[in-house]
Amino acid sequence: MNASRFADGFVAVVKHDCPTCVLVAPVLRELVGHGLHTVISQDDPTFPEGFTVIDDRELDLSFALDIETVPTLLKIQNGSVIDSTVGWSRSHWENVTGAEDLGRDLPDFRPGCGSRTNEPEIAEARAIALRIPLLKSRALEFGETEDEIEALFERGFTDGLPVVPPSPRRVARMLGGTTRDPNDIVALVPPDLVECTVEKVAINAVMSGCKPDYLPVVLATVEAACTDEFNAHGLLCTTYFSGPMVIVNGPIARAIGMNSGVNALGQGNRANATIGRALQLVIRNVGGGRPGEIDRATLGNPGKYTFCFAEREHDSPWEPLHVSRSGMRQTQSAVTLFAAAGLHPIVDQLSRSPESLARSLAAGLRSIGHPKNVMVWDAVVVVSPEHARVFREASWSKQQLHDELMALLQIPGSELVRGANGIAEGLPESVAASTIPKFRDGGLVIVHAGGEAGMFSALIPGWAIGAVGSEIVTREVVL
Amino acid sequence: MTTQVLLDPTGEQTTTARTRPARPVSLDRMHVGLLDISKPRGNVFLDRIEELLLTHGCTVERFRKPTFTKPAPIDLRHEIAAKCDVVIEALAD
Amino acid sequence: MPMVFVASSAFVEAAAAQSTALGAEPASVFVPHPIQDRSDSELRLLADGCFEELLRAVTSQ
Repeated sequence: MNASRFADGFVAVVKHDCPTCVLVAPVLRELVGHGLHTVISQDDPTFPEGFTVIDDRELDLSFALDIETVPTLLKIQNGSVIDSTVGWSRSHWENVTGAEDLGRDLPDFRPGCGSRTNEPEIAEARAIALRIPLLKSRALEFGETEDEIEALFERGFTDGLPVVPPSPRRVARMLGGTTRDPNDIVALVPPDLVECTVEKVAINAVMSGCKPDYLPVVLATVEAACTDEFNAHGLLCTTYFSGPMVIVNGPIARAIGMNSGVNALGQGNRANATIGRALQLVIRNVGGGRPGEIDRATLGNPGKYTFCFAEREHDSPWEPLHVSRSGMRQTQSAVTLFAAAGLHPIVDQLSRSPESLARSLAAGLRSIGHPKNVMVWDAVVVVSPEHARVFREASWSKQQLHDELMALLQIPGSELVRGANGIAEGLPESVAASTIPKFRDGGLVIVHAGGEAGMFSALIPGWAIGAVGSEIVTREVVL
Repeated sequence: MTTQVLLDPTGEQTTTARTRPARPVSLDRMHVGLLDISKPRGNVFLDRIEELLLTHGCTVERFRKPTFTKPAPIDLRHEIAAKCDVVIEALAD
Repeated sequence: MPMVFVASSAFVEAAAAQSTALGAEPASVFVPHPIQDRSDSELRLLADGCFEELLRAVTSQ
């Protein structure tokens, strides 16, 4: 701590809003004759009376001196603090000052109060102010009369909806959501394979509307999406419908207030909405992936704005996705990326047996992409609580439901060949005698989400599988 | 007039324009690489291009990307660069 | 090494965008879209049709 501005002697730091500081005011007057030359007040420059108090309401001095408690008494020699004491203790104060018989009318000891520098908003504001000069991104300047929301539209930085202007203060605040260094490289973002730092993710997270405590989830999402296996490059360039979907698991989901219940796949929840959107903006702004340019999707789907939800873990009949699919612990948090092509509802209001409900789900899954497409697409089945109850009451594990669906979706080749059913699409005649599964191993994923009322589940079709397409990728969320 | 400052959300890539390498005068005695990006039907197109090229006095070698959705792997690109004077990549649709 | 890529006309804008981004400007030759549902003989005709342009792109003729 740099005390070079102070002459040899004693410095006291106090605040009026501290009973112990009020208590020791007379002791400070006693110490004037013993070398006390400076009193610094954190909240009231008229306290204590009888001194020319330094007004430290901005707390610059208190931060510089690392004050944690008030009152603090510092002994200065040759520009350094060589001794100190906090709160009131007669013996300690006499020790530090060499004076005797201090505060005769006072109790022997009284604890101090917290320094104002530790108040949460103040500590945060300080941390933000310190981060701002360290930001590396180029500054874009706009005139005072320019509408910055319009300017961001004009520069092509938005997805069609307005974005939150990424001021240095907002970005610095966002960076408080992670302990990672802002200059850490998170990923190479396709299609241009641009290095993306934590700071760049933070800028796009601000624009998306994220809160700082979402940032660790956004960072994990960007990492997962930019892996070779997820193949965001291919996903972006395809004429197909798909865009990235993010499923969040683990304690982080509840901690940041995500929605896994009513309307989980829809609008209204800030974390759901902005985390998915932040990824899309990173790919757009950092990676250079924009519709009409690299993005050639024939139709796309609304989920390409944002598609992100939390699995409903607390009353699920099954272990969560990151546990069953990736072997993680329930106490870990994770994001799973899936190349989603919209959503296909399954209504089943009458099935009471798991066998019957599984057949309903399979009937829907059969037509994903095209009824004659086999071993082409992946799918996610989002089982709602009312449907999950059917499986719970029959004690069907997730694996059992999965295996039943796979078995029901072994398709006879005769149904798949070109011309079958009067449909030109299909497979060559050579497969007519085979049986081919609709989904590859690992290509059918089951999760639990949704509100408690409604006998509906959702099928979320994926994109092309394997080396040609996209692999489902899970990454841990690290705070 | 005071200005508002916002931070640039892009990767701030400044691309340096790469100039095209010098092209040969003719294909006579050149070794031409045909890179199939593996979209369906591309091979039929490239078969015909190969036929036509062979009438121009060059030799032709065929290469194939493992998948059309990702850039060509490094070792494939090196192989092509090492063996060929010129490369034609097809057929994106 | 000189390179030319051949794409269907649906790719004109994407090609321009990628070139700008990557700073590379390979020569491009475009053939009429669509490709997928053409017969073999139609594809051969497309190849014939663009061959002169290909030669010009890849040599300094």
